[in-house]
Amino acid sequence: MPSAQNTDTDNDGKQHVQHIIIPFLQSQSQNTLTRLYQRPSSCLSIFRLLSPLERQLVMNLLWLESAISANTMHAWVTREGRKLYDEALVTLSRLHILLTATGKLALNPTFKAGFRQAITGGGSTGSFGIPAEQSDKHPGIDIEGLDAYALERWETILHFMVSSGTGQQPTRPSSGVLFLLQRSGLMSGSQNMAPQITSAGFQFLLQPPHDQLWDLLLQYLRLTEERAMDLVEVLGFIFMLATMELGREYSIENLGVHQKAMLEDLRDYGLIWQRRPSSKRFSPTRLSTTLTSSSPPLPTSSGTNSGPQEGFIILETNYRVYAYTDNPLQTAVLNLFVTLKYRFPNLVVGSITRDSVKKALMNGISADQIISYLVTHAHPQMRKNNPLLPVTVQDQIRLWELERNRLKSREGYLYTNFASQADYEFVLNYAKELDIVLWESPAKRCFFGSIEGHANIKGFIERRTMGAGP
Amino acid sequence: MRAIKGVLLTCDPAVKQILLLLNEKESFIIEDLDDHHLVIKAEQEYRIRKELEAELEKNTYSLES
Repeated sequence: MPSAQNTDTDNDGKQHVQHIIIPFLQSQSQNTLTRLYQRPSSCLSIFRLLSPLERQLVMNLLWLESAISANTMHAWVTREGRKLYDEALVTLSRLHILLTATGKLALNPTFKAGFRQAITGGGSTGSFGIPAEQSDKHPGIDIEGLDAYALERWETILHFMVSSGTGQQPTRPSSGVLFLLQRSGLMSGSQNMAPQITSAGFQFLLQPPHDQLWDLLLQYLRLTEERAMDLVEVLGFIFMLATMELGREYSIENLGVHQKAMLEDLRDYGLIWQRRPSSKRFSPTRLSTTLTSSSPPLPTSSGTNSGPQEGFIILETNYRVYAYTDNPLQTAVLNLFVTLKYRFPNLVVGSITRDSVKKALMNGISADQIISYLVTHAHPQMRKNNPLLPVTVQDQIRLWELERNRLKSREGYLYTNFASQADYEFVLNYAKELDIVLWESPAKRCFFGSIEGHANIKGFIERRTMGAGP
Repeated sequence: MRAIKGVLLTCDPAVKQILLLLNEKESFIIEDLDDHHLVIKAEQEYRIRKELEAELEKNTYSLES
C-alpha cells in the first residue's frame, strides 16, 4: 500500500485526495455532464480538479484522433501502478470524460473539443467570461479592495457561526447565507429561533478555507434543483469564475437567467464584487479565481486588518498555546478547544487543558481535527520541529478523546442456561450466521446477541422445540 | 434455555471495578461476564454513565483550580 500511495502524490509531495466535487459530478447524468463539457471553461476547471494521474491520462488521449486500444494503454503501466491506473480509469469513465466501451479508450468527443478549445484558445463561446469595457466613469476596484471585500464577507459568515450561542451579537450574514448554512446542517434552528452551530458546523470551522468554500458551494449545487435552477448553468458559472482573472471586470451581458440570479448569492459569499446590485458588470474575487487552483483562496498580503493566514500558532510541550493573531475569527476558533488566558494586541495566549478539549469533543470536534488544525496553522518557527507538534500534547489530546469512550454499550439479550453443549452450539451457530453475536463464552455456555436478532433466535428455538416435541 | 434482556457493556478492567463498586450501592448488574463485559439493566444505563463519569472525574486534576 505505501508504495502505491507514494506514486499518487502531488508536486509538493502532498498526497492527492479526491476533490469533493468529483463524486457530485459522477452522480449526475451523462446528459448533464455532456452539456457541461460544451463549455471549455468547465472542461479546464474539472481537469484541474483531477488527480495527477487522471490528468496525465487525459493529456495522453487529448490529441489522438481515434480511440486507442485499452491493451496498448495498459502496457505503459508498471505493476505497482496497476491499482491506481484502474482507479483513475474508473473515475474518468464515471465522469463520462473517458469512453471505455468496446475495449478501446477515447475521450468523450464533447469534452475533447471543449478542452482543446480551452487550451488552444479560439472560438467565441464566451465561456471564460466577457471582459467589460474599461470606462473612466466607473473605474473598477483594485485587487486590494477585492481581497478586503472577499475576506470581510467570508469572515462574517464564519464569525457568525463560531459566535452563535455565545451570547455575542456578530454581524448577521444575509438570509440567503443563513438558509444555506441551515440546509447544509452546519447550523440548526428555525425561522424564529436564533441559529445554533451544530457539530458538523464546528468541524467545518476547523477546515482550511478552500475546503469550506467547496463545502458550501456543493450545498448550493444541491439546492439548485429545489430552486428550479439549471444545474449546468450553475456549475458552468462557478467553473467560469474559477478560470477568470483577478482584478478584471466582466460583463454580465451573456449570462443566462439563472446565472444572473446567482450573482446575488455569490456576492453574499464574497465570491464576486459588484458596485451596485443592478450593476452591469462584476469582478471575481480571489475566493473564486482560486477555486480550482492550489493557491490560497484568501489574501496573504498584509494591509488587511486580518491576522496572518498561515502559521501563527506556537504550541509548547507544556500545552501552552501562543497565537500571533489579532483576528477575532481565529481567536474565536481557537477558543473552541483552547482555554484562553491573556490577550495582547497581536498575541493570544492560552493552554490546551483537559476541560477545553473535553468541551470541544462534546461539541462534536474530534481529536484528529484539533491536531490537524494545529498542524495547518503552525507558526513557521514550529516547522523546524520534527515532529511538528509536541508528541506529548498530541498523544494527550487523543487520550482525552479515548477517555470519553471507556464504556461501550449495546442493547440485546443474554442467552444462557442451555440444556446441553450441543444445544448451545446449535443456537450459537445459527446466531453467528445472522451475525448478531456480540459476546460468547463456551465455558459459561452463554452468549449475548444484539436486539435486532432476538426475534429470529426466538423463532428458531420455538421451531426447534416444536420439531423435537411429542 | 433462558433469554435475559439487558445491555452489554464493554469496558476496560479498571472501569469494571468502579462499576462493581457502584453496584454495591445500588444493584444494576444482571450478569458479570468477564473482565471486559457486563450485562446490566437497560433502564439503569443512563444513571450508571453519569455516576461513572462523576467517579472518573474525581481522579483527574486540572490546571485551572
